[in-house]
This record gives sequence, C-alpha cells and structure tokens, in this order.
Amino acid sequence: MKKVLLISLLLVVAVVGLAQFKVAILINGTLGDKSFFDSAARGAQMINKELGISVRLIEMGYNPVEWEPTLEDISDSGDYELVIVGTWQMVDVLARVAPMYPDVKYIIFDTDMDYSTGKLGNVNSITYKQNEGSFLAGALAALVSKSTILDNNLPDKKVIGLLGGMDIPVINDFLIGYIEGALYIDKDMKVALSYVGSWNDPAKGKEFTLSMYRQSADVVFAVAGETGNGVLEAAKEAKRWGIGVDSDMQLIYEAKDMDIVNHTLTSMLKNVDFSLLRAVKLYKEGKLTFGKNDELGLKEDAVGLAKNPYYEALLALDPTMKAKLEQIEKDIIDGKIIVGTAIGMNNADLDKIRNAVKP
Amino acid sequence: MSDTLLGIFSWDFIGSVIRVTTPILLAAMGALVANLAGSPNIALEGTMLMSAFIGVIVSGFTQNLWLALFAGVLSGITMSLVLAFFALKMKTDIILAAIALNIFSTGGTIFFLSTLTGDKGSSASVNSLVFPNIDLPLIKDIPVLGEILSGHHIITYVAIVLIFVMQYVLYHTPLGLRIRAVGENPDAAESVGISVNKTRLIALIISGTLTSLGGLFLSMGYVSWFARDMTAGRGFIALAAQALGGVSAFGVALGALLFGFAEALSYSLQFLKVPYEFTQSLPFIITIAVLAFYAYIRLPQNVKRRGAQSGETRNGRLFQRVWEYFSRRAGIRKGVDS
Repeated sequence: MKKVLLISLLLVVAVVGLAQFKVAILINGTLGDKSFFDSAARGAQMINKELGISVRLIEMGYNPVEWEPTLEDISDSGDYELVIVGTWQMVDVLARVAPMYPDVKYIIFDTDMDYSTGKLGNVNSITYKQNEGSFLAGALAALVSKSTILDNNLPDKKVIGLLGGMDIPVINDFLIGYIEGALYIDKDMKVALSYVGSWNDPAKGKEFTLSMYRQSADVVFAVAGETGNGVLEAAKEAKRWGIGVDSDMQLIYEAKDMDIVNHTLTSMLKNVDFSLLRAVKLYKEGKLTFGKNDELGLKEDAVGLAKNPYYEALLALDPTMKAKLEQIEKDIIDGKIIVGTAIGMNNADLDKIRNAVKP
Repeated sequence: MSDTLLGIFSWDFIGSVIRVTTPILLAAMGALVANLAGSPNIALEGTMLMSAFIGVIVSGFTQNLWLALFAGVLSGITMSLVLAFFALKMKTDIILAAIALNIFSTGGTIFFLSTLTGDKGSSASVNSLVFPNIDLPLIKDIPVLGEILSGHHIITYVAIVLIFVMQYVLYHTPLGLRIRAVGENPDAAESVGISVNKTRLIALIISGTLTSLGGLFLSMGYVSWFARDMTAGRGFIALAAQALGGVSAFGVALGALLFGFAEALSYSLQFLKVPYEFTQSLPFIITIAVLAFYAYIRLPQNVKRRGAQSGETRNGRLFQRVWEYFSRRAGIRKGVDS
C-alpha cells in the first residue's frame, strides 16, 4: 500500500513537473516604483495563483550593464521556457540575446520591437494604448472642469493641465489622448502643459503644478512617475483636482492623507499585470503568436481609469457625467471613437496640436 | 497672454521662489561654513537625503514632530561626523569620502525604506507628519506685505534667521575667526594654538545641521513623504550657489535666491510660447550669465595685481585668470593647493 502511494505520488509530481513550464520575469529596476514594475510583480502573483505556474521575479537593478548578462544567464540556464522583460530600455538587449536562444520564448512589455530583421521569431511584444486611457482621463477632466455640481474648479475658465516627465513619444501619447478626450467634450477646452524633465523630483512636480493651477487649470493629469506625486500634493494645497497614473494613487494614499485622496479624481492605469496574465494564459493554450507586437487597449482591460470607491462616489454625484464617460468607454471599445497616437508622429504636427490648445 | 504674465508676477510667484530657495539656501550655508574652514563638504546631497528620510520615518513611527526634528538633525550631524572621521582623522581625500557618503545615502535610504515599509519607491504609505506653515501675527493683516511675508513654512523662517546668525557667528565671534583662520592658512592657525581638526570638525557639524534642515523641509513641508533620490541634485546646486555667493552668508543667501528665482521663473515661463528646452535650461543660463558678469566686474584688479607680479601681459593670461577665479570660487583648487 505504501509503495503504491509513493509511486502514485511520484507520478503526480513528475506529471506536474513535466506539464508545468516555468516563467521568469526580469525587471530592469527595482520594485516599489508604484508603476509598471510593481504591476508586473502583481502579474507574477496572478499567473501563479490563477494558472498555477511558478514564476521567478528577478530585480536586475538600475545599472544597465547588468541587464544583458542576467538575461543571458537566465536564458542559458534552461530552467525557464518563457522569459518576460519590459520597457524600451530592454529593446537592444533583447534583440541581441533572443536570437541566441531560439528555444526560449520571450515577452517584452511596454515597447515594440523591430521584427523586420526576421531574427525575433521567439519574441512577443506588448504595447499599451495609453492614448485610449488618456482619452477617458481627458474627457473626465473636461467634464469636471465644466461641472457646476462639483467643487474645487473654475467652471468658466475651461482649462485643464498635464504634467509630463519628459518630452518623449510615450508621454506625448498620453498627451494626445488627453487633449482629444478634452476636445471631445468641449471644442474650446484648453490644455496647459509642463514637462518637468525629471522622474524623481516630487517637489518640482508640485511647483510646476501650482503654476498650472495659477493658469486657472482645474484638473492636472500627472504623467511623470514619482515626480507626478507632487501633482496630488499640489491639488490638495491649491484645492483643485489631480489625476494619478500607473498605480491607483488613491488606494496608496488612503492610509496616509485623505485630503490628497479627496482631491484626486482617479488614476489612469496601465495594467501590466492583466496583460502578462493574458499573455501567459494564451501561451499556455498555445495561442500566443510570436514574432509580432500585440497592442492592447481598453478592450483588453490593459489600460483604463481606476474604478475605486472614491471614483464611484464622485461619479454618483453627477449621473450625466457618469453616463457620458461610460458611453465614451463603450464607443472606444466598439471602435466608434478612434483615438490618435503620438507614436510615430513628427514634431511639427505635435507642436501644432500642443499649441492649438495652449491657454 | 496677460493672464500668463499675471501668473508670473503674482504674489504666488514670490511664494514659489521662496519655496524653491529654502532647501538650496540651507545647504548653501552648510557649504559656506565647511568651505571657509578649508574642509569642503560635497556630501550635502547625501546629508539632505538622509535627513529627509529619517525625519519622515521617525515622525511616521512616533507621531512626534520634535523627535522627528531631533532625529533628522542628528542624522545630518552623523553624516558630517562620518565625513570628518574619514577626512580629518583617517586622512582620506575629503571629496572622495563625500562622494562615498552620497552614494551610501542613495542606496541606504532605499534599503532602509524597503526594510521598514516594504516599499522601494516612496514613503507614501507611511502616515508621517509635516512641519507647519506659520502665519505671522499682525504682519499677516498688512495688505500686500502680509501676503509676501506671512504664511510660509516654519523652516523657511528659521533659514532666514539663520542667515543672520551665520553671518554673525562667522565674522563676529572667536569661533568664526578660528574657522576662517583654519581655512585660510592651517599652518599659521596651528602655530598659534588653534586645533585645525577640532575647528574643522565643528565647521562640518554646523554644516551638517544646516543641511539637514534643508532635507527636512523637502520631505516634511514641501511635500509630505520621502521619495527615492528626492533631493534631485539640490545639494550640488547649493554648492554652486555658495560659489556664486562668495564668503559672506548674505552673499550666499543672494546666490541661493538667484537660483530659486531662475528656477521658479522657468516654471512659469513654460506657458509662454517658448520652447520647453529653453525654459528648462533657463536657470543654468541665468546662473552662467550672472557668474560671468560678476567675474567680469571683479577681473581688472585681479589681472592687474597678478599681471604685475608675474610680469605677463594682461590679455595673454586673461583666460587663465578667469579659470583660476572660477575654480577658486568653486573650491576646486583647494585640494591641489594644500
């Protein structure tokens, strides 16, 4: 009896061991960024919990010199069938390493790859339509700016703002969506814009935002990493509104400072976690296609506004606003609204759009 | 357009200048004391970062502002003591020791932050306190003046008082005389019985104390949490402000104010139709312009005196003089000379 048990146990272990492939997620930074690295870590937990696949998460740190050897070591070890990396900073590294290990499959998130070389047949890249989520944020900001029901705004001024980390395509993609969303609500909306030029200076972010509030912006959308947290602090101080990005800022601040939570409308999320879960699930089912980029948007739940209780409570104050936003979301998903993108846009066109909405 | 100009030259703009200036001013005065004593402290950046971190953590866990202040200042002094130990006692190069301290602070704060809160980015989840803004009684009721003078952060007022205190200490007390003597000529100071190391240690401790207040302002006033690397180069800008301001506390305060003004101006100018690249580089353009102007005014006597001594023509050595002038101001040559 004991022998039978032991053998069957061994069999089960062997079957599970053979059937289950292992996934490694390499982060080219450290956790705690409240942004896509943390989101990727949540994705790792989801993959583990929902698919029962063991995931190893490795923090490679911020030193670029260490990324390539780490990726090579992991690929070379043969332990991992699927290796996940992220951000545009890993593009060159992956382009060098992936062709060397054709048996390993790679997923890279938040960036496209150059597949025209024909060497990246084992890579799948995921980009996010931040412009779609930002369209919703822009529409929300415009509605709040014009609202006569909500407080903390200047309804007659029709100015909203965006604080960008740097003048780069990804940030401008947020901007284009945001501007289009605002103009969709009201053709006369003006969008004040600031680039801080830094991702880790919340004090400077606060100062820039206060300066936008002085230009009578009611709502400022923070798209600047850690710097963007300064927006929320400024909103609290100036008694206006802020919109967070990447993580649900209200849930982060609720234990600390309700004043900040109450001056934040919501956060525009890039759901790296869902997108990784989706990709690994597809891979498990053999449906993930390699050698191509997947562009995920509102439809795939890869971007969107954080629908936390504070946001729901805010919308409950103004049912027409709620209905409008739900309609827009539906229209984007159904393809009735096509949101423009800054990716691949030349500077002259971008300037034209930016200058047209300057207050 | 008129709205924009109004935005630039409103009372809020002055408030913005003052907020931007405060941490730079405190750190620049820290740089001044250390520089005068001949032991330049370029660990200002790390010291600020460490104090900003310790202040937030202590206030978060004890819910006591006084303890947070005490711990924050103490951490600044500790940083200075470590620097003094390596530079004065173990005779390492003070610049190298300071660079090591700066790196330690960047990594150390993140390490301790993640150990204590499980978060490596910011302390947003810690319920930390902030130092209050102060409304000055009576003054706040005066129409225009009240708006400018009242309602600032308490550390800002402390910083303003400290300008005068530092000027007095440096130029009207025996300690100040010793600090300057040790910096000017350590051998001469030693020969009349002044302990060079002891004096430099005191100068570094004062430097650490002042700088730590700048750090506390950042994380417990300007914003209400600690974020990794949140000093974002302010410690180095303070070094430049000190170089700009020269040897008096008033001069240093003006230097810091110039940086603050240029920085705040660049925030507001974003809304005019000028390229972002220009507004972002504006603070540095203004600084270089002022430095050059300042150097130009001072140049003639300098060149004459040195030119006469070495018998060289005036124009041939001009650029070298300018370079020497700048590097002396920036304290770069100090290490080479001694």
